[in-house]
Amino acid sequence: MLTVLLLLPFFGAALIGFLPVEITPKLTRKIALGFASVAFVWTIVLAFLFNPSNVSQQFTEFLPWIDVLGLNYNLGIDGLSLPLLVLNALLTCIAIYSSDESINRPRFYYSLLLLLNIGVTGAFLSQDLLLFFLFYEIELIPLYLLIAIWGGERRGYAATKFLIYTAVSGFLILASFLGMVLLSGSHNFALENLNTESLPLVTQIILLLGILIGFGIKMPLVPFHTWLPDAHVEASTPISVLLAGVLLKLGTYGLLRFGMDLFPDAWATLAPFLATWSVISVLYGSSCAIAQKDMKKMVAYSSVGHMGYILLAAAAATPLSVLGAVLQMISHGLISALLFLLVGVVYKKAGSRDLDVVQGLFNPERGMPVIGSLMVVGIMASAGIPGMVGFISEFIVFRGSFAAFPVQTLISMIGTGLTAVYFLILMNRAFFGRLSTQVMNLPRVYWSDRLPAFALAVLIIIFGIQPAWLIHWTEPTTTAMVHIENVVATITKN
Amino acid sequence: MVTKAKTLDNYPLIEYLKRLQNGDSLLPDTPENVQEVVGILKSYGVVLDEYSKNLIYIAENQFLVFFPFFKYFNGDINRKKLFKHWWHDRINFEYAEYCMKAMYWHGGGGLDSYLDTPEFQERANAVIQAKFGNNPLVLGLNSLFPDFLTEQLRVSAYYSGLGQFWRVMADIFLSLSDYYDMGMIKTIPEVVNHIKDGLVFDAARPITYSVKIKDKTYSILPKSLGLTFLVDTAIPYVEAVFFRGTPFPGTVSYNAQAYQIPADQARFQYGALYADPLPIGGAGIPPTLLMQDMRHFLPEYLHEIYRKSLRGEDDLRVQICISFQKSMFCVTSATILGLMPHPADTQNPNEQMANQVYFQKWLDRLQNSRLLDVNKAS
Repeated sequence: MLTVLLLLPFFGAALIGFLPVEITPKLTRKIALGFASVAFVWTIVLAFLFNPSNVSQQFTEFLPWIDVLGLNYNLGIDGLSLPLLVLNALLTCIAIYSSDESINRPRFYYSLLLLLNIGVTGAFLSQDLLLFFLFYEIELIPLYLLIAIWGGERRGYAATKFLIYTAVSGFLILASFLGMVLLSGSHNFALENLNTESLPLVTQIILLLGILIGFGIKMPLVPFHTWLPDAHVEASTPISVLLAGVLLKLGTYGLLRFGMDLFPDAWATLAPFLATWSVISVLYGSSCAIAQKDMKKMVAYSSVGHMGYILLAAAAATPLSVLGAVLQMISHGLISALLFLLVGVVYKKAGSRDLDVVQGLFNPERGMPVIGSLMVVGIMASAGIPGMVGFISEFIVFRGSFAAFPVQTLISMIGTGLTAVYFLILMNRAFFGRLSTQVMNLPRVYWSDRLPAFALAVLIIIFGIQPAWLIHWTEPTTTAMVHIENVVATITKN
Repeated sequence: MVTKAKTLDNYPLIEYLKRLQNGDSLLPDTPENVQEVVGILKSYGVVLDEYSKNLIYIAENQFLVFFPFFKYFNGDINRKKLFKHWWHDRINFEYAEYCMKAMYWHGGGGLDSYLDTPEFQERANAVIQAKFGNNPLVLGLNSLFPDFLTEQLRVSAYYSGLGQFWRVMADIFLSLSDYYDMGMIKTIPEVVNHIKDGLVFDAARPITYSVKIKDKTYSILPKSLGLTFLVDTAIPYVEAVFFRGTPFPGTVSYNAQAYQIPADQARFQYGALYADPLPIGGAGIPPTLLMQDMRHFLPEYLHEIYRKSLRGEDDLRVQICISFQKSMFCVTSATILGLMPHPADTQNPNEQMANQVYFQKWLDRLQNSRLLDVNKAS
């Protein structure tokens, strides 16, 4: 059942790749969207077939592959990976739908988007460390090309920077995976066979550091974050949506799955440092966002800040905080995708994202009042205003983390205030006041421009009002993942 | 002579001064401008016709009514009209009242002067006594606050005055459109001439106002006063609505305490000729109501022009406002030319000088207006 999620985009990419040149970009987009939509529907079907109370991997698929390497085709999903799979499938559809109808080299573009989907889906499904790594690396290539070919003016620089950072991330992760398997005496890379807890604490810490930095680059955490604003600024809107919405989540997912879950003792030892690291990430990311004049860069730095909450929650490792971490992944995926989509519409229509240039977009006749209203929804959600999914996730993160790290949690909460500050600056400058003369002749905004943002806004509000529909899938798994006594006991002991 | 030439060389609106001296319009003569101006004035004519009927209805039938809930219904109240009113897809008579209040606030002309005379007070008292003769409560209140009901009648007089003014203007604009459709008007100077001729034709039309109470007619503005269309309503209207206007939120700062609004009303420059069209559509912007009303009566050729713009008709109300502003510069041109002291083609140097001084006085007031913008957009 799970392989279908890989085969659909694969066949889609292959079909699009071999389409005749005469096929229009519009039709190519429709075909890509068709495959992505079926994959999305399939993830929904899986979600309904999924048994949330069963905390072990479900719909597992196993095929021996390369015995000599200990690599097997081993897939499965649990309450951690399921919501991320659905999010990935949804955002892929939205990214394809939001792509420019007249994009250059459409066959290559949509094939790469579907390949990217395969890489991310495969990573979330993998129950084998090496298989995860393969998928983790696979997504790197299409993403690099999507930025390098269809990006902005400095796309080459941004794509190369992204490639170098992620390659280093991949190297550290692979080194740690190899260390885990070799040192624990496992005969293959299967996640279920690993017994890392038997390793000496120092060894665990070293291996965990590799995992932390590797996935920390991907999340990204300060000071490994500098690739992200560049990549976002240069990437086109659909790629930014995917980058913020799901690709960063590979980092947080890896941190929880391979860090917290596999090294509970080392995790408990490093937890106070991780909590402090999260505080730095939150405050630094938010402060940088305040200083930005490029709307997209502001949203990108906001991601750096919000990823810090996930690290805080993971560091605390209480059942509630880990649940909060997963919710924050979903919430950030939806909110950041919405914000990037909206900034993309502003850029497409106004030709600028500069807050000194773009003003008065709330103008009811010549501005973008609907886009502005959706931006208000996105901003409220990002700032953790009740009634939005952002509030639920951040509240659970803080509530769950406070027991383990009260000081760090309280300082991190300043980040929500800072989020309101920088996004209100964005709102005030870009949407209020008189429409600036540079952008007073904006072209029409069509409902097709607004539709994806509407879909995301609706989800943000629905899950904000009824978070149980989201928590229901995840809570048993996150509770089972947590070795609560470790962190809290360590903190208490110290 | 040397001084005069030097002054004119440095005069920032010299181009427009020359146009007026030649009897031309402040708006350039282009086929697009003709279509826009005639088209918008056609819809304006339809709207003014409705406004005019309602203002006169209110003045004659809703005077001294403390809670005139159904004043916009012209006496025809039924469920269908009520729902249409609440649905707001209707003529926004509130805009007519906004203009009336602006006129009343800024004053000027014989009507304004008369309303402060003992004669008016006497006539007003007669109306109040007739209306509330059997109502000791209201008469008692009137004794306690003697200016309250009189003030209501002053307002009613302005309702009537503006209603009568717009009655004439509606006919001028609708006939302009008819002539254009018949191919008799093709240029902006012809448009301006048509408006000017209309204004001059009705210049001496008397402005009167009387009310009927229990089958007896009470004259509030009798014909004997000599109030006339041009001097006592048209000029005060142009002054109040075109030039001065009112500072409403959204277009200018309302911070009067910070002296951002002139203390002297005569220095106000918030009128139609100065208004920024961009905020049209926003809450609390009165002209939005007018643009909304005109939207329903645009001729097809004007729709065609708007549809070809960058946003199609998404920003219809702003586009209407821009066209409307152009047309108002034509009306202003007609007013300026209609009131000029000497004929435009006079060869007498003294008369030429008098005309120039007269034009410069008008143009000095237009320096901060949208004159350059409408010319740029043309």
